[in-house]
Amino acid sequence: MEGILRSREEDQIISDLMKEACNPENPIMFFPVRHHSPACSYHLLKTLDKYQPDCILIEGPENANHLISVMTEKETEAPFAIYYFYRDKKGYIDKEKGDYKCYYPFLDYSPELIGMRYGRIHKIPTMFIDLPYSEILIASKQGSRLLKQDEKNNYNDDYLLSSNLYIKNLCEKAGVRNFDEFWEKYFEIHGIYETTQNFIKQMLTHCYLSRSNTKKEELEKEGCLSREIYMAEHILKQKINYQKILVITGGFHTFGLWKLLKEKQTYKIHTIEDSMQGAYLMAYSMEAADALNGYASGMPYPGFYQKIWEAICDKIEKPYEETVLSSIIATGKAVRRKEGGISAFDEICAFQMAKGLAALRNKKEAGAFDLYDCILSSFIKGEVCISTEMPLILLQEIMTGNEIGVLSELADMPPIIKDFQKICAEFKLKIASTVEQEITLQLFSSEKHKKISEFFHQMAFLEETDFVKKVRGPNLKTKRDKNLIREIWKYRWSTRIFAGLTDVSVYGGTVREACQNLVNEKMKKLTSSQEAAMLFTEAFEMNLSEQRWELLKNTRQILMGDSDFFSLSAALSYFMMLLELSELYQVELNMKELITICTRKLFVLLPSMGNVKEEDSERCIDALKNIYNIMQEKQFLEDKELFFDSLEALLLKEDGNSNSCVIGCVMGLLYGSGRLLEASIERMGTGFLSGTRSMEGARFFRGLFSCARDIIFGGNTLISIIDSMIRNTENERFMELLPDLRLAFAYFTPSETDKIAKKAAALYGKTKKELMDLKEVLPMEYSYGKSLDDFALKYLEV
Amino acid sequence: MTKKTQIKPPMEIYYKEELEVLKKTDKAKKPENWQMSPQAVRTFILGSKTPISYKGKEYLIEKKYLGNDALVERCIVTLAGNRGLMLVGEPGTAKTMLSELLSAAISGVSTNTIQGTAGTTEDMIKYSWNYALLIANGPSREALVPSPLYVGMEQGILTRFEEITRTPAEIQDSLISVLSDKVLNVPELGDDGILFAKHGFNVIGTANTRDKGVNEMSSALKRRFNFETVMPVRDVRLEKQIIINEVQKLAKENKIEMEVDEDAAELLASTYHELREGVSSMGHMIDKPTAVMSTAEAVSVYYQSMISAYYYGACSIEPACLVDNLTGAVAKETTDDLKKVKAYFCTVVKDKAGKEGGLWKEYYEAGKKIK
Repeated sequence: MEGILRSREEDQIISDLMKEACNPENPIMFFPVRHHSPACSYHLLKTLDKYQPDCILIEGPENANHLISVMTEKETEAPFAIYYFYRDKKGYIDKEKGDYKCYYPFLDYSPELIGMRYGRIHKIPTMFIDLPYSEILIASKQGSRLLKQDEKNNYNDDYLLSSNLYIKNLCEKAGVRNFDEFWEKYFEIHGIYETTQNFIKQMLTHCYLSRSNTKKEELEKEGCLSREIYMAEHILKQKINYQKILVITGGFHTFGLWKLLKEKQTYKIHTIEDSMQGAYLMAYSMEAADALNGYASGMPYPGFYQKIWEAICDKIEKPYEETVLSSIIATGKAVRRKEGGISAFDEICAFQMAKGLAALRNKKEAGAFDLYDCILSSFIKGEVCISTEMPLILLQEIMTGNEIGVLSELADMPPIIKDFQKICAEFKLKIASTVEQEITLQLFSSEKHKKISEFFHQMAFLEETDFVKKVRGPNLKTKRDKNLIREIWKYRWSTRIFAGLTDVSVYGGTVREACQNLVNEKMKKLTSSQEAAMLFTEAFEMNLSEQRWELLKNTRQILMGDSDFFSLSAALSYFMMLLELSELYQVELNMKELITICTRKLFVLLPSMGNVKEEDSERCIDALKNIYNIMQEKQFLEDKELFFDSLEALLLKEDGNSNSCVIGCVMGLLYGSGRLLEASIERMGTGFLSGTRSMEGARFFRGLFSCARDIIFGGNTLISIIDSMIRNTENERFMELLPDLRLAFAYFTPSETDKIAKKAAALYGKTKKELMDLKEVLPMEYSYGKSLDDFALKYLEV
Repeated sequence: MTKKTQIKPPMEIYYKEELEVLKKTDKAKKPENWQMSPQAVRTFILGSKTPISYKGKEYLIEKKYLGNDALVERCIVTLAGNRGLMLVGEPGTAKTMLSELLSAAISGVSTNTIQGTAGTTEDMIKYSWNYALLIANGPSREALVPSPLYVGMEQGILTRFEEITRTPAEIQDSLISVLSDKVLNVPELGDDGILFAKHGFNVIGTANTRDKGVNEMSSALKRRFNFETVMPVRDVRLEKQIIINEVQKLAKENKIEMEVDEDAAELLASTYHELREGVSSMGHMIDKPTAVMSTAEAVSVYYQSMISAYYYGACSIEPACLVDNLTGAVAKETTDDLKKVKAYFCTVVKDKAGKEGGLWKEYYEAGKKIK
């Protein structure tokens, strides 16, 4: 590894480590690894053959020891992961008493899995030695990686080997773009050409330097030191029973463990009930295992390295070159299928480029990064942009791989999966076949169908399971098709269901319980009433009435904290819909309190709505009309008065800058309730149209007619006002007013428009018939006539 | 013309010493007709981590291209292969500089260049004739005036084709057969009229993607090239370093004895970076000007300010002068761009002036003048 950044003192430590920790002559031998590394696996196999251990100890939370036998079953195929969960009900971590989960993925080329499989074949006892998952969390400090609840946590701590100042300098000095490229060049590609002893030595050097450049506080924060004490204690315990122990751990821990073996410290763990923590095996996907997908830790491009591992196992002379070539061909084929344009010559050029780059970069063979570069250079014609980057996207898919693991039938399943199977059996849902099934549910005439619908809604809510899809039926979330009484669903069995259910098993032992807890969890993170009401609607469809108090409490809190008029009014509309449907759907959710909170908050906010922006006018009008309609219900008699008071307060605030459309609407509503006289409205309308704000006059009428169309038929005054405005407005100005005027009259039905026309005609002494018989005058003709008139008038005046 | 009399000496003259050291100490395998090995070309462009000993002296090779190292490596490998190299990207992203460096290192000459314009014709790309000789002696090699492409094929050196997309598409296509067969036919010369390209010949093209008045390349021609997209620098620190390096070089070439003010360079790097990316380091969302906000433009603005300060001022960069040159550089196509720059000063620069004071404050005061 070019002896980068090393000193004499460090050389001595490495030499000691080689002699004492990684010596095949010793009763305890450490084998340092990076978790997903074909080269580490390659040398580990050699070491196992040479060392012939009688016990294999592996870094991993020990509460998954019972899974090792299933993991090494022939029927179990990688990728799979151990899923750990912990419910901190006693608050050992913090007052929040939250639920935690993490994954420990395994691929065919994970050294730990190689160790376990070797142990099974040679009947060597194999066990995990790390702290149970719950204890790792308790030993970690706030802000540590595993305690970040928003992230999909990975037990794997390889990030310690790849992110510190030493690594940064190392990459800079080695002229590579990132740690993954550095690792591939020096450990993966060159690693398989090294002797095992040299490889271990280089691993130790790198890992020791990484460790010595990581602050002690960082190690404490992540719980590393506690874990190492426990692991060392475990190793010493096994030393009594076995003569040759091979310890497979992340290289980062080798130095710490080696030192701790001499110190003989002990670590006390908490007593935690079995129901509060657990570990299950779940099928995993290459996509999830890919470090580039944000799952952190581990190496990128699992599909690519899987092929490398297979090539190594098949003893192919140049495994990297072979895999790069096959990946180029696969990418070329995929591009041709998608958009054509890639020739065999392009592939030849790409392969030459990969080999050339490897030579220039002093690599023994081209690797993943040279593969990426050669596709970028040889397959993309033109500037790299969205329209040309298809080859890179397809290459990424190929390098990630699409394999999904398979679990042996002996694998223990989380209770939620058993619950799922029980419900499917109860409802006779076909999950023995992967063929898509369709089912029609009579929502309101069959109790059983109603229950199936609720179950389907629950499974749809657990998106990751990808089990069901509603094809047709009422959609309360979008308020569409509410009148439908049937639901048509499609469902299909796939392995993703188990993976998805395992993933949410931390939230409960049954599908319903998981949904309840997830809804509450999601609800706690929301701030908008509208979003809360939509989630509430989903809970309604799932009929999660068992936890209604919790649900109501969380929703109430969001409503109390929200001051957005539109969001609150949308929420109110949802709650009213649910209130109406609760009897039909037989859901016991008391929405009245939520509705009251919404309305009271809306009344407080209402007086300031006169100043909303023009683009929000329509939304505001809809919201006001909606509230008005709700207030017509008997149960809101008291609130009705408050509502009209708020509307009056809004009018009082009118300061010349108010939104005339909203003012029109408010006046219309007050007129409808008998709180405002027609004369006041006429005065306001005249004021708008005769002043300099004639533009807003049109908007005023738009707002007014949106909720009080009948006002125009009361007398002739309003029509006269509009008529005089049209008469006195310049042509150009009129054209500006026209869109809003048209919108204002769009609220009338055709027969009402007819009536208005009749009234307008009467103003000029014409009848409706005469009006209809009039020939249409084109704007150009009218304009010409008017100019003639003006000319004549001017001439006559002279 | 000697180095001293040239405004901008070519790379092979400017870096003569470095090229000499690398050639003499190069022990790796060289592609035929290359002046040095691909490894040495890489070192010449990306610099050496440790000094190179030659004739009792230590030479540390300067890093000349700051940005994407992998891109440079791909370019070198492409030029040793069957295809031409096409550098594409926004204006001012150092495509030309990179092609000059590659040519100087690989062929020892960076001036064998075709300058693409809308008026470029096929004979400028292939060959033309000295008509006096042609009439006097008939078609002969002596009467033929070789184009840079012809010279490249004949001597086994690189030919640079600048702004290839400015030339009409049908003229560009005259390269197709040359690039695939590596043969140029001169029918007028009869049996002697076939020119086979020597090893070492290849073409480096450059093309702008944002400029107006460019022509799309045909698919057939595209297939003869490996494309490399040169992106603008994304790191402000790197952009500042480029401004400093380039301005220092320009100042040295033009005998301007004035130190580069690092703070002013940082100011300019931030401004260009933020206006280009549309977001400030403090999180303001900014309207991006339509004008090209490249690092090369930033270098030019700084250098202009430096000249003003050196000849007409007190030998120090004045923020007001920077603002004047900046507005001059931005207001090229539409007046809207000027409004965007003014808005940038009224929001981002104002906030930075409040937070950091010092030069940012002076910069903000100077920015108030923008109309």
